Amino acid sequence: MDSINQLFWAGQEVYIMMIFLPVIIGSLVLCAGVVALFTISFRWQHYRLWRLGKEEDCFHQTADRLKTLLAVIFANFRLGKEFYPGTMHLLIFWGTLLVFLGKITRLFSYPVGLTNPPQHVFLYASFVSEIGGVLVLIGGCLAVIRRYIIRPSRLETKPDNTLVFIWGAAIFITGYLIKGFRMAAVGVAVSPDWFSWAPVSYLVSRFILVLPAEPLNELLIWHRVLIHAIPALLLFAYVAVSRSPLQHLFLSPLNIFFRSLKPKGALDPIPNFEEAETFGVKEISEFTWKQLLDLEACTNCGRCQDVCPAHLSEKPLSPRRMTQNLKQHLWREGPNLLSLPPEQRQPEPIMGTSVGEDELWACTTCMACEEACPVYIEQIRRNIDIRRYQVLMETKFAPEVQLTLKNMENNSNPWGIGSHLRADWAKGLGIKTLAEDPHVEYLFYVGCSGSFDDRGKKVSAAFAKILKAAGVSFGILGTEEGCCGDSAMRIGNEYLYQNLAQANIEVMKGYNVKKIITTCPHGYNALKKDYPHFDGNFEVWHHTEIIAYLIAKGRIALKKPVEGLFTYHDSCFLGRYNEIYDQPRRILKAVPGLKLMEMERNRARSFCCGAGGARMWMEEAIGERINNMRTDQAIAAGADRIAVGCPFCLTMLADGIKDRKKEETMAALDIAEIVWKAMDLEEEKPVGDVCAAPSAS
Amino acid sequence: METFTRAIAIVVELAILTAVFYSLFAGITFEVFDFGLNQKYHKFIKLVMMIMGCLMLVFLVAHLIAFYPRLPVNV
Repeated sequence: MDSINQLFWAGQEVYIMMIFLPVIIGSLVLCAGVVALFTISFRWQHYRLWRLGKEEDCFHQTADRLKTLLAVIFANFRLGKEFYPGTMHLLIFWGTLLVFLGKITRLFSYPVGLTNPPQHVFLYASFVSEIGGVLVLIGGCLAVIRRYIIRPSRLETKPDNTLVFIWGAAIFITGYLIKGFRMAAVGVAVSPDWFSWAPVSYLVSRFILVLPAEPLNELLIWHRVLIHAIPALLLFAYVAVSRSPLQHLFLSPLNIFFRSLKPKGALDPIPNFEEAETFGVKEISEFTWKQLLDLEACTNCGRCQDVCPAHLSEKPLSPRRMTQNLKQHLWREGPNLLSLPPEQRQPEPIMGTSVGEDELWACTTCMACEEACPVYIEQIRRNIDIRRYQVLMETKFAPEVQLTLKNMENNSNPWGIGSHLRADWAKGLGIKTLAEDPHVEYLFYVGCSGSFDDRGKKVSAAFAKILKAAGVSFGILGTEEGCCGDSAMRIGNEYLYQNLAQANIEVMKGYNVKKIITTCPHGYNALKKDYPHFDGNFEVWHHTEIIAYLIAKGRIALKKPVEGLFTYHDSCFLGRYNEIYDQPRRILKAVPGLKLMEMERNRARSFCCGAGGARMWMEEAIGERINNMRTDQAIAAGADRIAVGCPFCLTMLADGIKDRKKEETMAALDIAEIVWKAMDLEEEKPVGDVCAAPSAS
Repeated sequence: METFTRAIAIVVELAILTAVFYSLFAGITFEVFDFGLNQKYHKFIKLVMMIMGCLMLVFLVAHLIAFYPRLPVNV
């Protein structure tokens, strides 16, 4: 090792002392300048803009935040979901890190006397830098191929992107050239052992072979060192002060650190509803500071756009574009707002300038975008905030939604059916209400679909019969039950939602309810995550969780084969929102005769049915119908039955089957219906009949 | 270094230098607009950068021709 070490530096002392040492000292001084520049720029360009936003506490649970931050940064945790871009980013990230490690070791080895003559650590630092540079160049080539040759539609290439590629390549290549020049300057007698410690530069040096005796060479090396060092420092300075995409180097980690740690999909209620003067978000400074950081942290990678059902069905919504437009809005409006005292500000509204009406209402709140986002940007909360303003302050929403809201207000269900008919589905089933028997273990919260929709009623009946057969102690609220309010909340009518939620909580508390089962993931999510805001703390279960439990405990036996090629559609509010992926699949696998296959988009990558975000109650006039697209995906998987665990999905997919004219060969079924059939406890209609579209049933 | 290899080396180096200076000029251009310069000056800034780029190219070509390592004598 020592001989290699000495050889590595033999004859180069002059270059170290006369060329590299001054450059390193200069770099250290300039680095201090870049850090100062960064601090000023960070405060001026970012921090003061975020301060425009409202307060939000994101400083608690520091250890958890740090843990995720480190996982995302070093393992590229969320980026790995896609092989090509994931690999590309991993190579660039780790390559850059290795180069920095190597360079910093070298930089500080001089002041602390570690080298000169260099110690072993330098040889390793040299090797690490060389390998790091190769990784960056490979990753960079992959990125260039993807951006300029493959050109996926989600990537928006701006001149800044091209600049970063050219600049980065120039720096890394000049780095290798300098080292190559330095080796070549020693002469042709360079030891081949050097190849082990500086493989790329060694090869470069073989091509150069500059004459060692010429004093001009020294001058040239000087120049080349500067050609490498100055652009490198300027790149740092550029990234520090510009709005370059490379600013994600610090904005993304910040956003990941301050990400929401609230339950997934839970929406904050409007505080002090009775006293508030305005609701929701009209202009940029009405977002919270974290929402403004979200905008700046968006790297424009387009992963959200690739999974957005609204975008894929040709609606005018792209989560990426919306975030980018809002970012531009912040950059445009922010400095104007800051230049005036608050009372003189006349902020530009978001709607109509940066966000279009169709764009806003196209969102199904399916959370696919948030699940895909590598930097944890919250899209849904932002959209709902804007919707809140539109609904509560401007009364601007689709006319059909007006009727839905009115029905919910008058009859506590979106269809406007008399609330006295809410328990009619249970007639003849021997189900007691809590008024009749309050000492039951579970409240079966049926929800609006399960109570009023013809198809939903069959699901409720099937599930109630399963519970009875398993000997589960349960009851219903009957006519005392009200709408959960999820649709009102997702539309943005917080006032109506809070009224409905509080009414339900009051009734449930009146019966001292502790445990609740729902068949609807929307109700499940609202009861579990949103009702606690109003002191409604219950243990909430989805019916697929309960059925899976009953099967596992042997309390229900599945005897009768249910023939068919089934695929399971993950409801957004059950899957992505609540991570219930396995229980429904376990149930289906336990059914004799049932063949289960997966659609291409499944589990966390599942495709929305099109009903979320209160889209269930809106017309879908633009682009392809989302439910038809999901049905096509099931057809492509070769399934003839679609199993679901959500009444909205059931309706949407049954409609999709009808639209695709597949009623004769295909059907959508709730898991409770499949299980009840497999239990074979009473004469049932054939599966195909059970799962006909609602209008036909 | 043979004459042919030398020519290639000069071209490669020139390409790298062009990339470096393109990056620096483009960086400056983006920077001035990030700092709030009106977009109407975009054409003017671009023109200035192009002129500077041409001057830089002339300088670099002259510099490389004058100072590039001489061919070894008697080789």
